[in-house]
Amino acid sequence: MGVLRISHINLRVLDMTAALKHYEDVLGMEKVHTDSEGNVYLKAWDEWDKYSVILSESDRAGMNHIGYKVEKDADLDEFKQSITDYGIEVEDISSDALEFVGRALKFNLPSGHEMYLYADKEYVGTGVGTTNPDPWPDGIKGAGVHWLDHALLMCEFDPEKSINKVAESTQFMIDVLDFYLVEQVVVGPDGCFQLATWLSVSNTPHDIAFVGGPVMGFHHCAFFLDSWDDVLKAADVMGKNKVKVDVTPQRHGITRGYTIYFFDPSGNRNETFGGLGYLAQRDRPVTTWTEDHLGSAIFFHTGELVESFTSVYT
Amino acid sequence: MSEFFSIYIEETGEVFKCSDGQHILSAMASMGKKGIPSGCHGGGCGVCKIRLLDGTYKTEKMSRTYVSEGEEEEGIALACRVFPMSDIHLSVIGKLRKNILKKTTAVKRYGFV
Repeated sequence: MGVLRISHINLRVLDMTAALKHYEDVLGMEKVHTDSEGNVYLKAWDEWDKYSVILSESDRAGMNHIGYKVEKDADLDEFKQSITDYGIEVEDISSDALEFVGRALKFNLPSGHEMYLYADKEYVGTGVGTTNPDPWPDGIKGAGVHWLDHALLMCEFDPEKSINKVAESTQFMIDVLDFYLVEQVVVGPDGCFQLATWLSVSNTPHDIAFVGGPVMGFHHCAFFLDSWDDVLKAADVMGKNKVKVDVTPQRHGITRGYTIYFFDPSGNRNETFGGLGYLAQRDRPVTTWTEDHLGSAIFFHTGELVESFTSVYT
Repeated sequence: MSEFFSIYIEETGEVFKCSDGQHILSAMASMGKKGIPSGCHGGGCGVCKIRLLDGTYKTEKMSRTYVSEGEEEEGIALACRVFPMSDIHLSVIGKLRKNILKKTTAVKRYGFV
C-alpha cells in the first residue's frame, strides 16, 4: 500500500501557445487533451498513465497543485484518516473532477502547497507498448524526456521567527505519507535547522524535495533522461530553441544527478534529470550536507552557488 | 535588418544596444553587460523589475504577482518582457537591486536564506 510516485503537476503559464511549443518541441511531450476550460494535458512517451503535466493559462506563473498516485483505492481511506489525525483538513474530490482521474483527496502540505492523492488514472500505455517493445519510439521531438521525475517546492524559512516549513513538510511526508529522508542540508548553530530535504517513496533519490526561502513557491519540476549524452543533447535542443538556460549541464552533489536547469516561456523552472544517481532504499543512511559545502551540494563541479538558484522561482 | 536602440540604466550608467525584436534583458545578457538582475526571462519570477523613465516600447504579458495593472500603467515592467521601439532610459527596482548596486551579494544568514 501507499504512495507510488509523482503523477502530475499543474503549472500556470502566461501564454499557452508559447508554453505548448516548449513542452512539446523542447521537452518532447505529447498533448493528449484540452478540457472545456482550456487547460492542456501532456504526457511523456515512457509514461503509461494519461498525462503528467497540466498547463493552465493565467496572469501569473507558478504551480497550482501537485498530484501523487497511490497503489490501491483503499489507501485513500487510510490516508484521509491519517492526514486528518495529523491536523490537516482533507477534501474528498469526486471521480473525474480531475479529468481522467478517479476519486481523490485534496489537502495542503504544512508549507501551503496543494496536493492531490488518487489511485486511478486512465491508462493509455507507453510509446512502445508492452509486447516485444522497442527501447524507444520513433518520432520523439526535442529532448524526448521519459517521465515527470520529481518536483522541488520552496517553503517559507525564517528561523528568527521560528518558521521552518521545510522541516514541517518533511516531517509530514515521513510521518503520514510514508516517504523517507534521503538527503538533507542543515544550517545554523550545530546544523540545527533543516534548510532543504530530498525525500523518496520509491527507489529514486527523490520523489519530492523542499528548500527554504523567504516565501513559498514553485522551484522546479524535473523530467527524466537516461544518460549524460541525453542531457547534452537536451542542452543542444535548448540552445537551438533559444530556451533560457539557468544552469548548463552539470552534476548535482545531492542525488548525484546529471542536471540542466532551464525556464519555460512563463518563467517556471524545469530540470532534465539524468541517471538514477543511486538506488535509494529505506535503510540507506541519510546523506547530510553542511552549510560550508552548499555550493558542492547543488553544483558539484564548480562548487559555487548560483544566485538565481534560490532567489528566482515562481 | 534590425534596428538598434540604446538602453541606458540610471543607477549604473551602463549603456548597451538592443534590437527591435529583442527584450532588454536578453540584449543585456548576450552582450555581457550587467545592471538589471537576470532571472527566468519569461515574465514569471519578477527579479528584473524596472521603471521605464523615457522612451517607447512594447510589453508582453508578465506575472501579476510582480507587476500590478496600476504599476504597468505607471511604466513599471519586467525587463524580460519589454521590447524597445526607441532609445530607453530605465531605473532598476527589482528585489535583487541592492546586489547589483553594491557589487556584493545580500547577507544570507542561513545558507540560501
